[in-house]
Amino acid sequence: MTEKQYTGQFHYEVTEAEPRPSLLYQRHLRLTKRSRMANFAGYIMPLWYSTPSKEHQAVRRAAGIFDCTHMAVLEVAGPGSTEFLHAVTSNDIKKLIDGKAQYSFVFDAAGNILDDIIVYRRGDEQYMLVVNAANESKIKAYFNALQNRRVVIDTETPEKQLEHQPRIRDMKDTFAGKDCRVDIAVQGPTTNAILCRLSDDLQIREKINSLTAFRFFETELDGINCIISRTGYSGSSTGVEVFVHPEKAVKLWDALMEAGKNFGLEPCGLASRDSLRIEAGLPLYGHELNGKHDISPFEAGYGWAVKLRKRFFIGKNQIKKRKNYKMQIVRLQTVSGKGTRPVRADDAVLNSKGECIGWITSAAAVDSDGFAQAYIDKKYAEEKKHLGIYYLARSKRQVEQGKKTSADLGDKLESETHGTIVSRSAKF
Amino acid sequence: MAPKGLFFTENHEWIKLEGDTATVGVTDHAQESLGEITFVELPIEGKELSAGDEAAVVESSKAASDVYSPAGGTVTEVNNALEDNPETINESCYEDGWIWKMTVKDKSEVEGLIDEQAYNKYVEGLE
Repeated sequence: MTEKQYTGQFHYEVTEAEPRPSLLYQRHLRLTKRSRMANFAGYIMPLWYSTPSKEHQAVRRAAGIFDCTHMAVLEVAGPGSTEFLHAVTSNDIKKLIDGKAQYSFVFDAAGNILDDIIVYRRGDEQYMLVVNAANESKIKAYFNALQNRRVVIDTETPEKQLEHQPRIRDMKDTFAGKDCRVDIAVQGPTTNAILCRLSDDLQIREKINSLTAFRFFETELDGINCIISRTGYSGSSTGVEVFVHPEKAVKLWDALMEAGKNFGLEPCGLASRDSLRIEAGLPLYGHELNGKHDISPFEAGYGWAVKLRKRFFIGKNQIKKRKNYKMQIVRLQTVSGKGTRPVRADDAVLNSKGECIGWITSAAAVDSDGFAQAYIDKKYAEEKKHLGIYYLARSKRQVEQGKKTSADLGDKLESETHGTIVSRSAKF
Repeated sequence: MAPKGLFFTENHEWIKLEGDTATVGVTDHAQESLGEITFVELPIEGKELSAGDEAAVVESSKAASDVYSPAGGTVTEVNNALEDNPETINESCYEDGWIWKMTVKDKSEVEGLIDEQAYNKYVEGLE
């Protein structure tokens, strides 16, 4: 038993709860049908309102508004916050200043990625963490276990424990404190113009217009207190996430929808949220990070957020062993359009000899553009390289016809469509 | 709402009986939940099907969905126009978006399926 614990692996079983309607559910019902909504990480969320392609294009050409109220928002505050987060997250939190945010990883002591998160420094010893909705209960349980000294944090010195115990609070929970937050995102080139419609104050408008990447500030929009942050998940360089009190979320949504009327603002669902992040080359936990291939941050192209020069962070001893790697994530342009079978996750990626060199991890299509990310042998990861793609069987009939349901590295397969490697990420 | 005179399956296929032949497609609820359909794999003409056999695959960028034969019989014609214009299913699932035609071995098999009223109720229950 004890030996098992020293592997430093954090076990957590997700219990499936009855899905809850999102805070903005009543607004969604006015804009789309119930049949276009689905359970996502325990929340009933819209997949799309008009069509996924239209919403994707709106974000590239004008703006889109996303219900991100399902995202977990935690506060780490009080004495010891900085030291706690310095040990629990992989990036260098001491580089943060007030009003600046940072992308980071949370590992267990075995070096498994528990989540990729964004840490916002709101003040001295006051941080806001945005955590993937799907990982919310796991991260909460992990932080709780860390505070109660119930997990190994260093496999080499199993008796070691964290010294600092800051206050940790769920900021979505209105019973847990006054300062509560949920996330509504506006992404796309007309974002600033839309936000500026909601403030007469020239200074605030100036602040909105001059806000650079990963910076944020607290202000009022249409009389509603909020945090405006130049972050997002669409690849838009002008997008924002607006963090607002849960009780004011509907009011802010309405204000933004109204302000966006003349700026091409479209409500966007989970389908376009996914196609936009795939096009931009952004990873999704479980697909391009961790997941069935156990993809490391180095392989995903996010090794820069793992600061191995730090004296200590949980998982460092294990994750540093993966600094040299053979497989990596690439972004692909694929063939799409009417009458073309769409590429899907797990389809095999082939070299010119037809040998399997990896797998698709995510794919989407917007009109005649196909986007994908794939986990492939690093030897082939050159921009402009053409790679073959083999569709895995989608039905029993295809299996009967001899189509494979999975592919292993080195398998000889016939290329049925293709993709071209493009730069690892794209900004719009 | 599903049109009158057709029979339906709980997997959201419809079948229209005309004499000994029948036309098969997917329902409005099916095309709605799939979203923009970009690819249709048609059955092969002459193929013998039993009720419940996988006959076609309809794919959108979000999902691939099997279309099962609502009845037993032989495929006599497939809607080749769907290969170039799969979105016809989104636009006209009960008319131009039909998928295949077949002879039906046992008409009572079709008549034993649910009618439009029962199907509408079934879909309502899913919402």
